[in-house]
Amino acid sequence: MNTLIAIAGIGIVAMIADILRIRKIIFPVAMAGLAIAAFTAVSDWNTNTRYFNDMMFFDNYAAAFSLLIVVIAIIWFVMAVPDLKTGNHYSDKSALVAFSLAGSVVMVSFSNLAMLFLGIEILSVSLYVLAASNKNNLLSNEAGFKYFIMGAFATGIFLFGVALIYGACGTFNLQEINAFVATNKSDLSGQMYTGVLLMIIGLSFKIAAAPFHFWAPDVYEGSPTTITAFMSTIVKVAAFGALYRLMAGCFSQINEWWTTVFIILSVVSMLVGNIMATRQSSFKRLLAFSSISHAGYMLLPLLTLSDLTGTSLLLYGAAYAFASIGIFSLVSVMSENDDESIDSLNGFAKSHPIKAILFSVLLLSLAGIPPLAGFMGKYYAFYAALKSGNTSIVLIAIISSLIGVYYYLQVIIAMYKPTGHTSASFRFTIYQNIVLWTCFLITLILGIFPQLIIGWL
Amino acid sequence: MSLSLQILQHVPVNNYVLLAAMLFCIGVFGVLFRRNTIIVLMCVELMLNAVNLLMVAFSAMHNDPGGQIFVFFIMAVAAAEVSVGLAIMVLIYRNSGSVDIDLLNKLKG
Amino acid sequence: MIFLSVPSDYMPMAIMFVVSIGFVLTTIFVTHLIGPKRKSDVKLDTFECGIEPQGNSRIPFSIKYFLVAILFVLFDVEVIFMYPWAVNFLELGMYGFIEMILFISLFMLGFLYIVRKGALKWE
Repeated sequence: MNTLIAIAGIGIVAMIADILRIRKIIFPVAMAGLAIAAFTAVSDWNTNTRYFNDMMFFDNYAAAFSLLIVVIAIIWFVMAVPDLKTGNHYSDKSALVAFSLAGSVVMVSFSNLAMLFLGIEILSVSLYVLAASNKNNLLSNEAGFKYFIMGAFATGIFLFGVALIYGACGTFNLQEINAFVATNKSDLSGQMYTGVLLMIIGLSFKIAAAPFHFWAPDVYEGSPTTITAFMSTIVKVAAFGALYRLMAGCFSQINEWWTTVFIILSVVSMLVGNIMATRQSSFKRLLAFSSISHAGYMLLPLLTLSDLTGTSLLLYGAAYAFASIGIFSLVSVMSENDDESIDSLNGFAKSHPIKAILFSVLLLSLAGIPPLAGFMGKYYAFYAALKSGNTSIVLIAIISSLIGVYYYLQVIIAMYKPTGHTSASFRFTIYQNIVLWTCFLITLILGIFPQLIIGWL
Repeated sequence: MSLSLQILQHVPVNNYVLLAAMLFCIGVFGVLFRRNTIIVLMCVELMLNAVNLLMVAFSAMHNDPGGQIFVFFIMAVAAAEVSVGLAIMVLIYRNSGSVDIDLLNKLKG
Repeated sequence: MIFLSVPSDYMPMAIMFVVSIGFVLTTIFVTHLIGPKRKSDVKLDTFECGIEPQGNSRIPFSIKYFLVAILFVLFDVEVIFMYPWAVNFLELGMYGFIEMILFISLFMLGFLYIVRKGALKWE
C-alpha cells in the first residue's frame, strides 16, 4: 500500500514541479520515491494486509511483482531522463510516467474487479498521452491514436466480461467470485463462461498476445523510444501479473476450461511473433514482434496453476524486462540518428567493442541461450508447461524459440559487419552506460542464480 | 425498497442483457468499420454505455449497490479517456489537416 | 420495508418545479416586456461599432473552446463521486469526511495545475 502512495506522491510532486519552478528536483525526487517504494514493497512481505474493505490485497505475490515493477522503473527512469529532459514537458511526462506506474502497482495488488479496471485505466490513459508525446511528429500522433482506440476497445470488451460475471455472481470481490465458482462448479451458466472469455480477450490486448497483437508493432514503432521501452517492459509485466492474479484468484476452479484459451493464445503468439520478426528491417519493429512472442512464452506457466506458476512468471518477466531495457538504451541512441534500421548497426562492434559484447549478451538472453537469465526463464516456463502435460505445446515453443535465435543472431551479425555505406555515430550518455551495465549484470546474475527469484513465493 | 425499483425488477433481466449486447455490438462494428475518427470515438463510448446499462440492470437484479458504484467509475474514466482521445485527435488534425482514419497508415512494415 | 408515498410527500418538489420554471420564464419573457425598445439599423447589426461583419458565422471555432469544454467535462463528471458520500454522510463519519477532503484537495491540485499552465487564458 505504501508503495502505491510513494509512487503517486512522485507523480504529484512532478506535476507541480513545473508550476513551482523546481524542475531540477524531479529526478532526485523520483529516484528517492522509487527507492522508498521498493523498500516498502519489501517490508510488505508476509504482511498479507487487506485495505479499503478488501479492495486491495497486498500478499507476497503483490509485493514481489510491485518490487519487480519498481526496480524496472528505476532503471527505466535512469535510461529515459536525457530524453524526458528535452523539450519543455519534462515535469508533465515524468508525472504521467509515475501515474502510469501507480496504475501498474494497482494492477498487481487488486482484490476486486473494480480496482483491476481502475489500475488498467490509470496505466493506459497516461500511456496514451505519452505515446503521442512527440507532438509535432505525425507518426507519434498516429501511434498514440492507435493505442488509444485499441486500448479503449479492449477496455470495453473487458468491462462487458466483468458485467457478465457480476450478473452471474452478484459480486466483484475475487474471493467471493472464487467461492461462487467453487460451489456452483457443475452448473455454471454460459454467461459466466462468456464473461471469463471476454475478460481474457480484454487483457490479451494489453499483453499484446496474438491474435490481439495487431496494434503493437505500429504503436511500438511510432512512439518515442523511451516510451516504447516502458510499454514493452513494465506494462507487460503488470498485465501478466494482473492476468495471473485474476485467473488464479478467481477462476482456478475452472482452469481446465480456460487453459484451452491460453494454449491457443500462446501458440499463435509464439508463431506469429517469431515468424513476423524475421521479416523486419526496423530494429524497433523487430523488438515489437519479439515482445509478442515473449507474451506467448509467458502464457506457458499459466497453463497449469501450481506453486511454480507465479515464480516462473516473475523470473521470465524479470529476465525479459531487464534485457529489453538494456537493448532499448541502444535503440534510443539509434533514434537520435533518425535511423532505426538493423543495417545502420553495421560497424558498431568496431567503434564500440565492449558495448557490442554487452548488447550481444542481452540479445542472446532474449533468445534464450544458457547460462543467461532468458534461458532460465524459458526453462522454468517450459517445465511448468510440461508438468501440465502439454508436450506438443512445448515442442512448438522450442521450435519457435529456435526461429527466435535466428533473428536475434541477425542483429548481432549486423553489429559485427564492417561499416557499409552508412556510418552512423553512436553517442552514449553516462545514463545509458549505467543502464547497460546494470542490465547486463542482472541478466548474468539471474542466469547463474535463478533461485534468487525461484522459490521465494 | 422503492416502488420504482420493484417495477424495474418486474422486467426480465434477459431483456436488459439483450439490449446491452445489441448496443455493445453496434459499438464494436462502429469501431471496426467507420472511417471518421470522431464517430469511432462515439462508438467506443457506446460500448462503455452498454456496459453501464448492463451493470445497472444486474445491480437491480441482485439488489446490490456495487454495480452502480462501478458505473460511476466507468463514467469518470470514460470522460478522462475521451478527453485524452480528443486531444490526440486535435493533434492529428493540426499536423495533417484531416480526421479520416485512412490517413493513419504511415506506420507499416 | 416498503415506504408508501402519498402525493403530499411530493409537495416540496412541486414547489421547487414551479419556482425554477417560473424563474426561467420570468427572466426570458418579463425582461422583454419591461425593457425599453429602440429599433434601428445600427442596433440590429451584429456589432454596433467597429468593423462591418462579413461572411458566414458557421466557421471552425477556436481551439480554446474545445479545451475549456473538455476541462469542464472532466471536472463535471467527478461530482458523481460526491453523491454516494453525500447519501452516506452520517454513516461514514469523520473517516469519510477526511477521505473526501483528500479527494477534493487532490482535485483542486489538478485545477491549480490547469490554471497555472494557462489552459484557461483566452488571450
